[in-house]
Amino acid sequence: MSKPLARIGGAIGLALLATATARVGRGEPLAGASARQAQSPARGASPRPAAPNASAYSGPRTPDRKPDLNGIWQVLGTAHWNLEAHSASEGVPAGFSVVEGGTIPYQPAALARRNENFKNRLTADPLRKCYLPGVPRAMYLPLPFEITQTPKHILIAYEFAHATRTIFLDGTPHLEDLDFWMGDARGKWEGDTLVVDTASLGDKTWFDEAGNFHSDALKVVERFTPTDATHVAYEATIDDAKVFTRPWKMTMTLYRRVEKNLELLDYECAEHVYEKLFKGRGGQP
Amino acid sequence: MTRSIIIAGPVLAALCVPATGRAQPVAPPPGGGRGAAPASYPPYTRPVSTFVPPKTADGQPDISGLYLAIPLPRGIETPLVPIQNRPNRANSEFSFSLNERPKLPDGAQVRPVGVDPPDGKIPLTPAALARRKEIIANQEKIEYLDGRVLCLAPGIPRSTIPAPVVGYQILQKPGYVVIFYEQNHLYRTIPLDGRPPLDPHIRKAMGVSRGRWDGNVLVVEVTNFTTNLDNNWVIGAISATPGVPAESLTTGHGIPHSDQYKVTERYTPIDANTIHYEATIEDPSVFTQPWTIAYYAFARAPKDYVPVEYACFEGNDKNLLLMTNTDISGIRVQVP
Repeated sequence: MSKPLARIGGAIGLALLATATARVGRGEPLAGASARQAQSPARGASPRPAAPNASAYSGPRTPDRKPDLNGIWQVLGTAHWNLEAHSASEGVPAGFSVVEGGTIPYQPAALARRNENFKNRLTADPLRKCYLPGVPRAMYLPLPFEITQTPKHILIAYEFAHATRTIFLDGTPHLEDLDFWMGDARGKWEGDTLVVDTASLGDKTWFDEAGNFHSDALKVVERFTPTDATHVAYEATIDDAKVFTRPWKMTMTLYRRVEKNLELLDYECAEHVYEKLFKGRGGQP
Repeated sequence: MTRSIIIAGPVLAALCVPATGRAQPVAPPPGGGRGAAPASYPPYTRPVSTFVPPKTADGQPDISGLYLAIPLPRGIETPLVPIQNRPNRANSEFSFSLNERPKLPDGAQVRPVGVDPPDGKIPLTPAALARRKEIIANQEKIEYLDGRVLCLAPGIPRSTIPAPVVGYQILQKPGYVVIFYEQNHLYRTIPLDGRPPLDPHIRKAMGVSRGRWDGNVLVVEVTNFTTNLDNNWVIGAISATPGVPAESLTTGHGIPHSDQYKVTERYTPIDANTIHYEATIEDPSVFTQPWTIAYYAFARAPKDYVPVEYACFEGNDKNLLLMTNTDISGIRVQVP
């Protein structure tokens, strides 16, 4: 039933698709990203050899011989508050930049908007309205997520707002007439690196609490390169010609949570919205 | 285009809400009320399946795959008028209608899902019935609204009650069964290693699940449900019949649970395409005895079915404004 309704937005989706197609025509996104990656490996990662199956990965593997990513993971760091280098402020720990080159390459008008977002962040950050965090922000929230891996799909369950992603590994193409808060993710294994191409992300999410943002032309290519049983070198290449002067990349490490009997708990953000509402109205009867 | 996904939220919400607060009052069925003699059905017998599923790499019965909900009779409790027909496009006695629908297995009986106690009634305590009356009479107020309309995670077994957008991805990995629900992007991870329950201070909207395989049947005990809000009702079909008073409702709406709420589920693979579902519901603060629902729940989805994102809360503020004249769009909460 949602699907016929969802297709009401087809025209907008098609516009988005047209933009994406035009960008591919420029020949930038994927090839450019991997070339840069070869020169500057992610922090803590081994340089990735170009040839598949020549991996340094020595951790456990699934029955289909892929690195076994099943389990609970979390990023440690401050990317959720600000992708770029920043000093501490009230409630915000200081942090290094996770952006390659340090600074996000905004177009001038977009930089002005980011700065405006920053000023208004406590009310304007979509996360404070409990909206789905989008991609890649979901990956570096200060909350864990759980990966379930099969040969055809990788599913990610996030503790925040019970967000989810389904990454299709079955060779199917992106859907053409839909748009998603968490994007439409299609992945493939390149040797021991999982490469995920996420499109159809819309323009309503931010990258962090500091107001770093994107347009509906956003495309994200993530590379998950496990280095051992408990670490994954993660990088996301951000391509959005409406906002940035060139594609850019963020890198961080996913840490496996190894505590015994750990399981995901709840951050049911919407519950807290209603709790606040009811409290303001004298409590729930 | 994101907005088009949002459109579905209010539509589903409109389907879900008991319309008693707003609709024209409708007289209860002749002789209506809980005292009237209900339609009768033969006693429920748990289906015995001879189907042997293949095994996963770690030796679990393999029931993984993408399933769709099988439409159910709208009544959770036994209706006063017997269900006459099998599901079809025009039959509003069923939970939803689509042009193509999963079929019940041959020989499956069409009956309300409440199978025990045998009278098919939810065994509410007097206090729970009074609370239900209050809730159903106040559906124009957001405090009393169905948590499903608020886009909260609706818990168990409610997440398995069919609605129009209900793909279920069942995944299995060593030591776990994982269920992703298409509706409101819900999920559960069910450990199978016999680990103890969580500390009672830890609560989850979907509960905390502990599973085991009983032969080819997946048995899951679910506890530790959240009680942050009273809007998370135990059960409820798509929509209540407008105007029916709480004591005559057969659709299950308006029953919050306490912190003692516990559900024991049984997932029985009937054949390569069908899973039968049974859930026994206990909460001594709400029910006078444990009670059980059972139905053919999941049918394997057609090959061309693609689950998509169902973003429920995003944009639901407009729906809530229409339904309850409450504007939540200005509320901001702290995030970790």
